[in-house]
Amino acid sequence: MSIMELNGGSVIAMVGKDCVAIAADMRLGNQALGISSKFERIFPVTDRIYLGLPGLATDVATLRERFRFRVNMYTIKEEREIQPETFAHLVSSTLYEHRFGPYFIEPVMAGISKTPSGAVKPFIAATDLIGCLNFAKDFVVAGTASTKLYGVAEGLWEPDLEPEDLFETISQTLLNATDRDAFSGWGCIVHIITKDKVVTRTLKGRMD
Amino acid sequence: MARRYDSRTTIFSPEGRLYQIEYAMEAISHAGTVLGVLAKDGVVLAAEKKVTGKLLDLSAAKDGGYGGSGEKIYLLNSNVIGGVAGLTADANSLVNYARTAAQRHLLMYNEDIPVELLAQRMCDMKQGYTQFGGLRPFGVSLLYAGYDPHYHFQLYHSDPSGNYSGWKATCIGANNGTAQSLLKQEYKDDIEVKDAIGLVLRTMSKTMDSTTLGSEKLEFAVITLDPTTKEPKAKIYKPAEIDALLQKEGLMKKEEDAEMATA
Repeated sequence: MSIMELNGGSVIAMVGKDCVAIAADMRLGNQALGISSKFERIFPVTDRIYLGLPGLATDVATLRERFRFRVNMYTIKEEREIQPETFAHLVSSTLYEHRFGPYFIEPVMAGISKTPSGAVKPFIAATDLIGCLNFAKDFVVAGTASTKLYGVAEGLWEPDLEPEDLFETISQTLLNATDRDAFSGWGCIVHIITKDKVVTRTLKGRMD
Repeated sequence: MARRYDSRTTIFSPEGRLYQIEYAMEAISHAGTVLGVLAKDGVVLAAEKKVTGKLLDLSAAKDGGYGGSGEKIYLLNSNVIGGVAGLTADANSLVNYARTAAQRHLLMYNEDIPVELLAQRMCDMKQGYTQFGGLRPFGVSLLYAGYDPHYHFQLYHSDPSGNYSGWKATCIGANNGTAQSLLKQEYKDDIEVKDAIGLVLRTMSKTMDSTTLGSEKLEFAVITLDPTTKEPKAKIYKPAEIDALLQKEGLMKKEEDAEMATA
């Protein structure tokens, strides 16, 4: 049994038109045994950046705190919020520091970045457990249901979805993919990030 | 042989003094004044800027993230602001150390660092430089204005020797004696932030040697509690906000200030 599958859990992020979405299931398990259906694995980094941490639950807690540390130091020294691109490299380098004894987490991040002209640009990225970055233009997935998420997202995602349509797409993708994975599910949480607000919704899922 | 007890920080003189530390303190008493007043519902800090001139590029300070020009007043953590007097280069290194120490505490205990603990962490570092050989002490005194849930608002001072102490109102840097006696006369135990702001600015205008008080010579910050969240809210004023405040307090010119004192 891989340590990556010990606690279960999956995260997905998608790009829409001037918006991004990030969603995760809420299951915490001990192998096949379900422990909690209220486990959060997506955390806000700034007002416009959210970070999903699927993988070993103890490392979810540790990495969340380590990223808070490093983002706070960035913010206080630079006197401004970190941009999603910069944050992605922060995630990458933090994980690569532990190249030969890694955190068992494959982070997924979603955010909105501001261009110098004042326009907004949706941003998503994911890394493997040692920090190899994947900047995708459509969607990124990670966790125990990642193979299923790829399949469903390939079928449902289309370019330039409006926030409400993106919500429907990411929700259906996650719910249906996690139904096909024994280690993910037990409810979902979805964040839709637009330039001036974040909408968070929790979804009920199958409890088997 | 006059330099016999000067050249190393670790050596006591026959009278039992550590000259290098005394020199460091002397350096600070020539630095720009930093003044702090502890109020019932907050703490107020003000600092005199020494590096000025019309060729100095202040464009970054105008719309910088936390405001101020970043010469003397710094945000150390979400619940602590620091005012520094002394060698700017040493101060930068200490500010960085304080910020890291605060974040280390947050990482370990998942709570903001208590103000006294932060002062202690800094003093452990400063003291080390007075004892272990070959290094000079930090030429910096700091004021820490902060809030923690246990002791609420606090104001601390630390000096190059690694001593620290808590104050209701205090001053470091040039003319600190004058300022402190003024504060002693005017300070009231149940002072509120809105009155403390006036007290700080009035004292500052009397202590500074320049004729006019304006944002190009002054840094200003206040830490209070956010009325809705009850979390500490540190505000370092931007140059335009300082000028507006001085206007409100009627302290833009020295002449008006003389009237205030007699009134």
